[in-house]
Amino acid sequence: MKNKTWTRWLTLSFLALIFTLITPLTSTINAQDESYDQNLINEALEEPGTLKVGMEANYAPFNWSQTSSSNGAVEISNSPGEYANGYDVQMAVRLAEELNLTLEIIKLDWDGLPPALESGMIDAVIAGMSPTPERERQIDFSNAYYNSEIVLVVREDSNYAAANSIGDFDSARVTAQLNTFHYDLIEQIPNVHRQTAMDSFPAMITSVLSGKSDAYVSEAPGAMAATAANSDLMYITFDENNGFDTGQVNTSIAVGMQKDSPLLDPVNQALSTISQADRDQLMNDMVLLNERGESTGFWGDVREIWDMYGSQFLVGARNTLIIALISTVIGSTIGLGIAIYRSIPVDKKRNPISYFFYKLFDLLIMVYIEIFRGTPMMVQSMLIFYGSKLFFNIDMSPLFAALLIVSVNTGAYISEVFRGGIMGIDKGQSEAAKAIGMSHFQSMTTVILPQAIRNTLPALGNEFVINIKDTSVLNVIAVTELFFVTRSAAGSTYMTFQSFLIASIIYFVMTFVTTRLLRLIENYMSGSASYTVHESSTMPKTVERGSL
Amino acid sequence: MSKTILEVQHLEKRFGDNLVLKDIDFEVEAGEVISIIGSSGSGKSTLLRCLNLLETPTSGDILYHGDSILARSYDQNKYRAKVGMVFQGFNLFKNMTALKNCTVGQVKILDRSQAEAEKIALENLEKVGMAPYRDARPDQLSGGQQQRIAIARALSMNPEVLLFDEPTSALDPEMVGEVLDTMTALAREGLTMIVVTHEMAFARDVSSRVVFMDKGVIAESGPTDQIINNPENERTKEFLNRYLTENK
Repeated sequence: MKNKTWTRWLTLSFLALIFTLITPLTSTINAQDESYDQNLINEALEEPGTLKVGMEANYAPFNWSQTSSSNGAVEISNSPGEYANGYDVQMAVRLAEELNLTLEIIKLDWDGLPPALESGMIDAVIAGMSPTPERERQIDFSNAYYNSEIVLVVREDSNYAAANSIGDFDSARVTAQLNTFHYDLIEQIPNVHRQTAMDSFPAMITSVLSGKSDAYVSEAPGAMAATAANSDLMYITFDENNGFDTGQVNTSIAVGMQKDSPLLDPVNQALSTISQADRDQLMNDMVLLNERGESTGFWGDVREIWDMYGSQFLVGARNTLIIALISTVIGSTIGLGIAIYRSIPVDKKRNPISYFFYKLFDLLIMVYIEIFRGTPMMVQSMLIFYGSKLFFNIDMSPLFAALLIVSVNTGAYISEVFRGGIMGIDKGQSEAAKAIGMSHFQSMTTVILPQAIRNTLPALGNEFVINIKDTSVLNVIAVTELFFVTRSAAGSTYMTFQSFLIASIIYFVMTFVTTRLLRLIENYMSGSASYTVHESSTMPKTVERGSL
Repeated sequence: MSKTILEVQHLEKRFGDNLVLKDIDFEVEAGEVISIIGSSGSGKSTLLRCLNLLETPTSGDILYHGDSILARSYDQNKYRAKVGMVFQGFNLFKNMTALKNCTVGQVKILDRSQAEAEKIALENLEKVGMAPYRDARPDQLSGGQQQRIAIARALSMNPEVLLFDEPTSALDPEMVGEVLDTMTALAREGLTMIVVTHEMAFARDVSSRVVFMDKGVIAESGPTDQIINNPENERTKEFLNRYLTENK
């Protein structure tokens, strides 16, 4: 039920249009009586017999993440050991059952859902998504599988607890989620102070809890879950005349599928077998499931999250560390290669042909560096991961894509770092190497690079630490790294502070240990601080650096 | 009798529009110790750097045993290994110990075994009085000590000619002596040396020939005694007067 306008996705939509045009249009299927045309369904699926459903797994009660299969949760296929549950999940289970398909849940970032659908990585989005006119241009939606209303979430002890019309929120400070139509609705409140939009529900809950905001706009189920998880919160409902005017916008949620997907009719048919009473019951169950017992205080909550999601946090931390480490190593190798290449002296007069090819390749390197330094890694992730699937049908695993993206990114930065490191070495060093007859390559490997690398180690360490933190943008391509795991925990429990506190401690431990290790390596590379003076007749004595 | 090692013909060097060396003709015989003197900016160092191709001459030629080292097919790295260089700023490899500084070229360029290279390196370190400091790194030593190791490094390559580019100019006065003593000892052994220097005493006492450079040309050149005591060129006289009165 989130109505984000995917600005980042707009770049892809043009390409998506082309994709739509070249896809052979399948004729509309005739309404069937009771059974489904299994062949037709399979044809529409990426993998016959399996319904791949994408969701965030951090938007309780629609979809959340847990670490066991209790209460009918389904294991998330791209994050082993993590299970998805919620209204969306149960809907997906019923749909798959009705259509006689195996269900596969794929956890994706919200912004990763449309391109994943478009590129065929998933067959359907069942993620609390509302059909909006913009979305309908790219995605076909089924009939609604849930209807909702717009409410305001406030602190129970605030002045607004007794409000019953949006007029009662005169002059209040109100926020809503970024890129949703909720945010536009705020303007309907008289004299409102519309605050900066926030990027997730947990963030808004925290804002209201801390008193930074008086209220945030939500849909009823999200508000129910939030208030169930935080006893300090309550939500205000409005009757028809005193509430928000949502105009054209649909507050229902529906299943998203590829444009002109033959799945559309079977899905609608399957949805029609689930009655309104069933749906209300299911939503009620899910909200109750998500309800926690009495809060045991802040640290109790932290403990509870750790008990629930600890293994996931560790998996996320491990992946983050693996990606950062391997990418930094590969990226440094790329960067070093480039820096060495760029240091090669080519004499234009002596070798005009080599000079031409040297300059040509140099130009390519420059283009590579400029492009990867000049665009955000998140954008690169989206384009490379989803683009390769969409246009070349290359199915990269998220981890491989992550390593590729972070490596080439690091390479672009590091090459400049090394270039600086090499330039920083006194010219006399290479002259002395030349003077004893070393070739450029020999002087590089034995004299210049050992010094340059030692000098650039602090910058390399910096890059490694940055990579540990920057892997957090990779959640758009569904890499189970620490940040993605944290968002799941926060979104599933509505305990943001507690979840992110755990994440920040893990991040800090990782970066702190890393920097200490690098310092040790630096010291090792600087060589011993003392040396032994060899005398033929006397005992060797040790001289400390600086005693001269 | 004596054989010609290096022959410089009509050498010219430009840096952009700036003509630094003009029509230099110059020969080096085996066993000679040549001092190149002259005021700053006269082109002494550039000439020396052209001799081992740290600077590429703009025109003219340099012959090594009769072969042009500027020819396209000539292996310049091999040539450089035979013409050693001692720099004003020592330029010891900062990432290596004194011993390693003296062995790395031998192993990499001359294909000597590590053991053989170390033996030769130690002999040369002994010769310059730095053998006790073989395990020290450049930043742990004084300038004079570093320069003596730099000389040992150059010697370890068994060069035919050793070039010195103002080897004492960057040293504290009390360290100049130890380096000059080392160089004097080498000269006495018969090593062919070309020394760009401001040390007139060294030029007078040690070298067999003195070259006086002025404004990019060799203004005067000849046996030491003749140049130091009976210079013909006005500029040489002027220069020597200034230096000899200052340094005595």
